[in-house]
Amino acid sequence: MQMEVLSISATGVAATPPPVRGRVVRSKWLYSVLTFLMVFGPGLIVMEADNDAGAVSTYVQAGAQYGTKLLWLLLLLLPVTYFIQEMVVRLGIATGKGHAAMIYQRFGKWWGLFSLVDLQLVNFLTLVTEFAAIALALSHMNITPKVGVPVAAVGLVFMVLTGSYRRWERITVVLCLLDIAWLVIAFKLHPGLGEVLHDTFIPSVPAGGMTAGLVFLVIAIVGTTIAPWQLFFQQSCIADKRLRFADLKWSRLDTFLGAVFTIVVAGCMMIAGNAARVHGVQFSDPAQMANDLRWFSGEAIRSGILLLMINAAVLGTTAISLSGAWAYGEVKGWPHSLEMPVSKAKGFYTTYLVCVALAAAIVLIPGAPLQLIIIGVQVLAGIMLPSAIIFLQLLLNDKEVLGEQFVNRRWNNWVNWTIIITMFVLSLVLAAQVVAPNLFPHI
Amino acid sequence: MNVLGFLRPSIINEVPENHFAVVHPLDDVVEKKVETSTLGSMPMTVSVKLSLMALRGYLILMMLLVLYHVLDLAGVPVQQGH
Repeated sequence: MQMEVLSISATGVAATPPPVRGRVVRSKWLYSVLTFLMVFGPGLIVMEADNDAGAVSTYVQAGAQYGTKLLWLLLLLLPVTYFIQEMVVRLGIATGKGHAAMIYQRFGKWWGLFSLVDLQLVNFLTLVTEFAAIALALSHMNITPKVGVPVAAVGLVFMVLTGSYRRWERITVVLCLLDIAWLVIAFKLHPGLGEVLHDTFIPSVPAGGMTAGLVFLVIAIVGTTIAPWQLFFQQSCIADKRLRFADLKWSRLDTFLGAVFTIVVAGCMMIAGNAARVHGVQFSDPAQMANDLRWFSGEAIRSGILLLMINAAVLGTTAISLSGAWAYGEVKGWPHSLEMPVSKAKGFYTTYLVCVALAAAIVLIPGAPLQLIIIGVQVLAGIMLPSAIIFLQLLLNDKEVLGEQFVNRRWNNWVNWTIIITMFVLSLVLAAQVVAPNLFPHI
Repeated sequence: MNVLGFLRPSIINEVPENHFAVVHPLDDVVEKKVETSTLGSMPMTVSVKLSLMALRGYLILMMLLVLYHVLDLAGVPVQQGH
């Protein structure tokens, strides 16, 4: 295996570097900060995009039912999400290829095809739920979904059509950072700081004990926080951005900060749900919660939550659609880069366009079986996640691909197999419960 | 110091001693990665084979559960205990 480093930034100081575009700085500290800012992006996006419409719904529901009592679970999930995505970072940087391509090459056509079809199916169903959330939030803002949803879809398509990875990344990072508003909302809702800190750092079972509802809500939170598309998305994103071996530590930091930000934002969503519980607000979705909370917290909170719902769905849609388009391009051997103009990567952009347009169209069909689609997302994600992590684990032990430098250490494997087994059990229970609820009448 | 000039990247032909070149990955020389296309399929150890067999079993089980649910939704009497 050859891991030749040609970039001058990889070594910091180069004797005879080839001419490239960049900046020369004198301070080592400034060099580190600027290099990090250039690498920064995929980690934040993959994590924050996972706080999509479904996640908003799950977290506020958790807050509405159990207050802040499940905040410790989010803290527990922080290292789990980081460990899983860190493996993706190593694999992406070492190979410069996407996850779908690696599965195809190392495990053969059957598994490659299965992974691709499964990813596309669950992605598409998730996209429908994202657009359903956009339609819901818009209708609460007195904007007809027949206008708002197509406008959102067109905007999402234009985001990727610029022929510049950097432009797409900058727009998406700004959208991610807009989620800082969740922190403001949580602060404005006046949660008890002592209670929040206590429930974050000291695990406890909410009053009422281990009921079936609590078990499945915990499973839903785990399933919401770690999703199969994230593995495919971040590896393809890293490959498209052409991150270098020397960028590994900065990419890890990007991923870690993204995980921390995402978990903090998720906690704020729970706090918003808790405020609804405290004020006795009954709701079936976050848009209705925002609407009813205005009587206690003002119009700004209502508008903020509705806009953040749309932002969450937009972020989820662009990341999920791209994960599918990249994966399809990798397996088909099509050109697949945001750096390419549409004319040179027609298949890649068409896949993205078709996913977005079809999902938006389905939401606009009167009487579309959205509830069945949401159930389908849960079942398929439950099926796919553990199997996707197993392939990741096997690839991270593949010395032919990663060599001694990037391959998993023994402690990595212990941590990851623990995560995999836990995920298997949880997803099996969730999927079985969703598919056949009467199988578990007395949990 | 001209801030805008500093932020705008320029062609670097030479890096003076004790200076550092900051280059965006997309502007950098393409790095040579691990060549995976010639590696073929992963050599399967017994543990890998067992893992994949377990995975297939899991997937078959899940497909059967999905089928059960579809039949249930279609009104086929697949349950005894209503």
